Amino acid sequence: MIKVRIPTPLRPLTKGQGEVESKAGSVLEMIEALNSAHPGIKDRLCDETGELRRFVNIYVNEEDIRFLKGKETSLKDGDEVSIVPAIAGG
Amino acid sequence: MADLVIPRHILDDLVAHARELAPYECCGLLAGTDNSVSHLYRIKNIVALEGAHNLSSFDPAKVAHLERLSPADRAEIAFVMDMQDFSAAKKDIRNKGLDLQVVYHSHPHDPARPSVTDIKIATDYEEIWPKINLPIPAYLLVSLMHAEPDVKTYWIKAGHVTKADVLVR
Repeated sequence: MIKVRIPTPLRPLTKGQGEVESKAGSVLEMIEALNSAHPGIKDRLCDETGELRRFVNIYVNEEDIRFLKGKETSLKDGDEVSIVPAIAGG
Repeated sequence: MADLVIPRHILDDLVAHARELAPYECCGLLAGTDNSVSHLYRIKNIVALEGAHNLSSFDPAKVAHLERLSPADRAEIAFVMDMQDFSAAKKDIRNKGLDLQVVYHSHPHDPARPSVTDIKIATDYEEIWPKINLPIPAYLLVSLMHAEPDVKTYWIKAGHVTKADVLVR
């Protein structure tokens, strides 16, 4: 099982859950599965071409997927995925 | 001992960044070793990108305010870091054996104090830093509201703001 940490701005879509579990084999599969369970999440994470939006990072075990294989990064049992929103302020 | 020592040339670079982007907010990171800052990383402010303000922890009042403005004008009152730039900076910080020390941004029209939005987002982010293997940074603000720029640095923890002791030399 893979643990996926959901940041505060996305929790309204996961009924308040800060962590969900996934059995996906890759980041792309994880995003699709998340979107099936919690419709709307994919749009928040990816643009219309399917690319990860510039104001979000996904880390697999503390490594940014942009430095791994992007959405093709494979996942295995015990991995921890963190969806990280942009640092922001006013 | 000061919480942080910032070399004058880095502070000058940071103020130059704020002035270049005014009336829009700039943002970036400072890194170094021990309590001594040695590197500045400019990060793009992408608050104007579609959806950017919806995936940050802005409070509903701030979101409503942002949505009344054109995307370009949003950068006058907010920043959202380009996380691609952030990741590149994070990687460089790690490769050079440095620590992330400061997150900075400018207030072109307001004082060098964290806004309600700054405090909320910094507090939300407290749980994220350890998960991405980074220490909780100090927050530095540059105000350009007067002719002379004002720079102040703070710790924001559990919603509480305290001034950081910074030595510039």
